[in-house]
Amino acid sequence: MADRRPSMAERRPSMQNSRRPSVIPHLAGIEKPVLPTTPDECDVLICGTGLVESVLAAALAWQGSNVLHVDSNPYYGDTCSTLTIEQIKAWCHHVNSNSPGFHGFTKALLYIPRPNKLNSKDYSIDLTPRILFAKSDLLSLLIKSRVFRYLEFQSISNFHTFENDSFGKMSSSKEEIFTDQSLSLSSKRSLMKLMKFVFEYDNEENAALLAQHKTTPFVKFVEEKYRLLPGQINELCYTLGLSSTPDIQTPQAMSRIRRYLISFNVYGNFPALYSKFGGPGEISQGFCRSAAVAGATYKLDTTLQSFDSETKLATFKDGTKVKVSEKVVCSPSQAPTGSQYTPERKYEVTRLVTIVEKSCKEWFSDGDSAAVVVFPPNSLPSLNKFPVQVMIMGPGSGCCPNGQCIWYLSTIEKGEKARLDVESGLKKLEESILRESEDSGFDVALNDEDIVVRPDGTASVINSVKLGKSYKEFVPKEKLTFLFKLMFTQFTSVEPFGVASESVYRRASKEEVSSLAASGAPDKGIVYSNMPSAEISYDGIVTEAKLLYTSIVGSDDDFFDVDFEDEDETDQISNQNNNDSAIVDEDDEEFKDEMDFEL
Amino acid sequence: MPSEISSQSSTPEARFSQFKLVLLGESAVGKSSIVHRFVKDSFTDLRESTIGAAFLTQTIQLDPNTTVKFEIWDTAGQERYRSLASMYYRNAQAALVVFDITQESSLEKAKYWVKELQKQANSNIVITLVGNKLDLSEERKISEDEALAYANELNIMYCEVSAKSGQNIKDCFRDVALKLPLDNKSNSQNQRRNKTVDLSKRPNTNEQQCAC
Repeated sequence: MADRRPSMAERRPSMQNSRRPSVIPHLAGIEKPVLPTTPDECDVLICGTGLVESVLAAALAWQGSNVLHVDSNPYYGDTCSTLTIEQIKAWCHHVNSNSPGFHGFTKALLYIPRPNKLNSKDYSIDLTPRILFAKSDLLSLLIKSRVFRYLEFQSISNFHTFENDSFGKMSSSKEEIFTDQSLSLSSKRSLMKLMKFVFEYDNEENAALLAQHKTTPFVKFVEEKYRLLPGQINELCYTLGLSSTPDIQTPQAMSRIRRYLISFNVYGNFPALYSKFGGPGEISQGFCRSAAVAGATYKLDTTLQSFDSETKLATFKDGTKVKVSEKVVCSPSQAPTGSQYTPERKYEVTRLVTIVEKSCKEWFSDGDSAAVVVFPPNSLPSLNKFPVQVMIMGPGSGCCPNGQCIWYLSTIEKGEKARLDVESGLKKLEESILRESEDSGFDVALNDEDIVVRPDGTASVINSVKLGKSYKEFVPKEKLTFLFKLMFTQFTSVEPFGVASESVYRRASKEEVSSLAASGAPDKGIVYSNMPSAEISYDGIVTEAKLLYTSIVGSDDDFFDVDFEDEDETDQISNQNNNDSAIVDEDDEEFKDEMDFEL
Repeated sequence: MPSEISSQSSTPEARFSQFKLVLLGESAVGKSSIVHRFVKDSFTDLRESTIGAAFLTQTIQLDPNTTVKFEIWDTAGQERYRSLASMYYRNAQAALVVFDITQESSLEKAKYWVKELQKQANSNIVITLVGNKLDLSEERKISEDEALAYANELNIMYCEVSAKSGQNIKDCFRDVALKLPLDNKSNSQNQRRNKTVDLSKRPNTNEQQCAC
């Protein structure tokens, strides 16, 4: 067995003798005697078990740091928890009374009709639901860290765009573009041309073109350059790219669309996955477990009261103290009362979560239990300025009982307008599902035109764009039953759909220095993480965790640099690692050949 | 179980079931040692390998046609401050609640974990109370009768083992396996698996895509 390379911390001269040996004991720490209080000392104290903090805890623990990870709640996940109905009730109460541990959320409105038919434990409700692109840094980390073994993942194939009062499914693979009968030949050509550009955007010629259009809005760029129709642009920009704002610039939009396209066919004919039984809250638990295996200590229900940057003593609400030799990292939601250094949170995300009494299987692809729906700007009666993004989680996702479905709507619009927009989106979703799930269902108005035969002649699919349109005059006979409705606003310092920037942490450490004179703040010297961004994919999580890691360890060279030796999976994993780096190129090559042939 | 004997003669095809089993109990009662004895048939404090997943698997053959695979989750220390994640309990089909027969307070603490299981886990979970350190029976503080009475009261199984000597370990897991729903049709875990995407296995879908 090869020795693990000494961690960064071990290589620091001051730490030569106090570090653990280079071989991490299997199931470390389990058999130590019960400790009456918190440990006396640790290298890093992390407050809040959100996803970023959990990834950080695991990375530090495997690197060899002695991590104490606490959360003021009795459950894992902090700002991105996955909660039961009862926990949601308590959560709303805490948010509205502005309790410590719930900073960064406001105006939680909860509606559960009486009689309450919900069995609390049957539900897993995400505070910040996210989807996992098949080719993304978090997915690679899940594999590398083995955390995926604690979780179950399911595919998500359908990305619908709401247009002209109906849902269309984007023709996003080349196969679909070829067979989509709603597209004219010239449209097909332009779309294929654009996709080729997206795939090869880093070759010299395209990179130069892109550099020229660095600040050109994407919408304008594709309109002029590719003569795409507004509907197509909406689908590309907001549905495939999941862009947040109508004025997104060309390079940003391109890389977001590319993210979707290169994720296709990594695991199958779908671009994204989600973790069953809950999203970020579930994955957080996985990373915390990994950290615990590497020796981190976990203590829920523990609130940080203050940190003294001179004595390096952190004090908790219950009076216990811990000496922190390196850093305290704290989620802004769990900042000590009276804190003065939490990062400014100027961006808003408004979320509406509902549970409806319908399985909504009409929206899912065969074998899937989830879908994404996007309302592009100005597509709603509320004249939404920003897109409203929706994640639909059906009963197969393990988040709700059979015959029910959870809808998560969100927007980066601010204030009351945001609430109007998501309500407006909800209304449209309701109309659509009633229309599409009416008993008469597929018998109506279908003709041969609506059946698309795939090139191989076997499979046939129903053209969902047309299907939606045929129901335009539909008046629903029944009403949809809402079993649960939750609305709240969350604040964040991460730019909409951006990635946490290093400046946040630089600012924290600068303040640490400049504020040495000023005293009295209970959070002097604390490094704050960020509230979750508005992004509905997991992108940005690993980046933020790495930035925090670097601010503690000095570099991210040994971020999860561990050779696991789980005997019964050794072969599988070594193949996996090879695939990991090679797969991007393979895909691109393959796509290019195909394109050359066609165009 | 009569149903198994009949299936053994009538259906020659092999049956395979996989179950998630979790360990619970206070620190230092020997949870990990029990797992080690069962999985590696060893009792050693030198836990040298770097294991990332922290759950171990072990397969037992109940009869020539029936194989049961346990996916065994240890607490990884998260029980110390009562900070086990809900994920730990999810879909666990069996649980061993371990106590130390030489420690007076040990059974009382085990009762906490049984309650916790009843709160958090599936209602049909098969719970077994396990008295460990049978090798130290001359230092015994909790009688078999006392523990058995408690187990009977809650209608859960009881067994006494020694992780150090290995005594009764295999039988204990075997008893658990016999209590589990081995019929594949009713084994929800297997059905569940079919629909999920295994991240460690990327199919070569590129070729398929090319075919068009």
